[in-house]
Amino acid sequence: MKRFSHVAFLPIAVLAAACLLSAGCGKTSSASYRLNMVEATKQRLTSDQERQVATVLLAMFGTPDDPVALPETGLDEAKLRLASGPVRSDIVGRKNGLYREHCAHCHGVTGDGMGPTAAFLNPYPRDYRPGVFKFKSTERADKPTHADLLRILRNGIAGTSMPSFALLSEPQIDALAEYVKYLSIRGETELALMRAYFELDDDAKGILPETREFLVDEMLTPVAEKWKSATAAQIVVPDMSADIDLTASIAKGRELFYGDKANCVKCHGVTGLGDGQANDYDDWNKAIVEINKEVKGGLIKTGETSTSGMSAEEAAEHRQQVAWLGKFSHVLDGDALTPRTIPPRNLRRGVYRGGRRPLDLYYRIHAGINGAPMPAAKGTVAPEDIWHIVNYVLSLPYEFDGELGADRPMVARDRF
Amino acid sequence: MTSTKFNVDARRVLATAVSGFVASCVLASGIAAAEEWGTIKGRFLYGGDAPTPAEIKADKDVEVCGKHKLLQEELVVGADKGVANVVVFVRDKDVKVHPDAAAEAKATKVVLDNKGCVFSPHVLVVHTGQPLIIKNSDTVGHNSNVATIKNPPSNSLIPAGGESSIPFANEEAIPAQVTCNIHPWMKAWVVVRPNPYATVSAADGSFEIKNVPAGEVELQLWHEKAGYIGEISVGGKSEKIAKGRRKVKVEAAGTNLGEMVLAPSIFQK
Repeated sequence: MKRFSHVAFLPIAVLAAACLLSAGCGKTSSASYRLNMVEATKQRLTSDQERQVATVLLAMFGTPDDPVALPETGLDEAKLRLASGPVRSDIVGRKNGLYREHCAHCHGVTGDGMGPTAAFLNPYPRDYRPGVFKFKSTERADKPTHADLLRILRNGIAGTSMPSFALLSEPQIDALAEYVKYLSIRGETELALMRAYFELDDDAKGILPETREFLVDEMLTPVAEKWKSATAAQIVVPDMSADIDLTASIAKGRELFYGDKANCVKCHGVTGLGDGQANDYDDWNKAIVEINKEVKGGLIKTGETSTSGMSAEEAAEHRQQVAWLGKFSHVLDGDALTPRTIPPRNLRRGVYRGGRRPLDLYYRIHAGINGAPMPAAKGTVAPEDIWHIVNYVLSLPYEFDGELGADRPMVARDRF
Repeated sequence: MTSTKFNVDARRVLATAVSGFVASCVLASGIAAAEEWGTIKGRFLYGGDAPTPAEIKADKDVEVCGKHKLLQEELVVGADKGVANVVVFVRDKDVKVHPDAAAEAKATKVVLDNKGCVFSPHVLVVHTGQPLIIKNSDTVGHNSNVATIKNPPSNSLIPAGGESSIPFANEEAIPAQVTCNIHPWMKAWVVVRPNPYATVSAADGSFEIKNVPAGEVELQLWHEKAGYIGEISVGGKSEKIAKGRRKVKVEAAGTNLGEMVLAPSIFQK
């Protein structure tokens, strides 16, 4: 693969992909990726544009049975092969198709977080396509490191449906982490392509240039680079001072928790039960909430509008709008889950999704949680103060009843 | 097969690459033109009765935020029907920048304040390389969740009296929303452009962009409720402008686009 001439490879692959797409090349019944229809409809892409995105993605990333990793992605194709495809044993008896065996039923073949079980889980499984991950050791906007993904796979995510895969072998977990990166890079490139139509100049006639400069250098590479630089974006954590007086530190942390600077109390609540600001959404759900609102408003408005007084041009525009809204509500039925609010964590239960080590809590407070409302304390709260908050939060499940006065229920768990 | 446009052969790719290279060389050498500069002016008016903005009820930090009268700012129309907060910018990628415009932009500190439990201003423009200072003049803590797409999104705590500086390396194709997760009614928009030729219409609907190179430029118009504005009416004549793009001729003596009327229907999305 690497021997391929860089200039020649892509157009040939696009051609091959077009051939595969148009059926009749003899390839049938293989698994395929779903197009991000919510974004495509939001961007009002035409069916020709949708087809162009699908074709380009096929050329750049292959299929779920036969993934392709261009050198620019920095991904290891051998690992991807172990994770991809149907569940089977290869010629040396090694298990293949790990992603479909362990992950796809929740995260979906496409990594869109819309596998068959997804709708029944709370929280919903992660949609990898926007490239946003919560539990990691890097700064807020940065990608997780490979080690971060491995840790999640090994430990699972406490308090969610994500189990531990510690029983898989190291190479298997490694292959799955690589495959998650692959699906995420693919999904983010898809988003970039779909958004690029809007910025085209009029003389482009609504077609993206199918050149290596545009597709690889401008669309794919910026996405892949963020994954490559993840390790460099790791948060530097100063050690908690060795002679720290834990009781004093907890008291200091409590002061910060309720104080105006760290402001934890606003969302996690006066009681720490996570009952402060509870009507917010995470980024994945918020996007759907906003689209729902627009489509619903549009359907009501167009339903009330009479076409009788319209000019031919206005009537055509009206019909187009009605058709778009109809398509969108249909797409939302099949390609989006019912949005849910994100409650701030109940800190009295001692369940920490991103890991229970003091270090994990430090990361969460320092960088906030990407994709969630939790803001970053970095720059506002000094590192030693973050450690005090960590100590206080870790003490919360064990705080004496009644410490916060009558407002606090005697047993935190009764509430849930 | 409908795929003729996919039949890109290597030669075409090469040819495009080569011509792109030649074009960039020509550009870099500098085309001697546009020694003259002009100002673009205009005003946006609402084509109907000015809507009364709904009041927002503060349900968080009521003891502080409840003291202020909070109004919905999605569509701000003055008594004189001027439409505020319409974004106007020059879209041309390689537009030549007047040294004064560059210097002025460099000297300007772009500030987004959390004041009276709203963002002020509601819509603002920065250009790449110009940091955005977010500060908090309130006595309560805020956070500012900046949902950029081509720049790393951020969400920093901004305590009372605090300040945070956000750099932007890349331009954004659509204005980015800024929200406060503590006070969900708070919303602002940041427009990130690669040059200083961008502005936001004032309370009376007027705007002005100075020192634009004379000749033809393409303006792009955006409004929070309308998105990229698809239709304006000038002198009673309706004009469709796809994706809010409108070519205008900039005269050294100044170009006045006059009163552009925006139909109420474009804001009803």
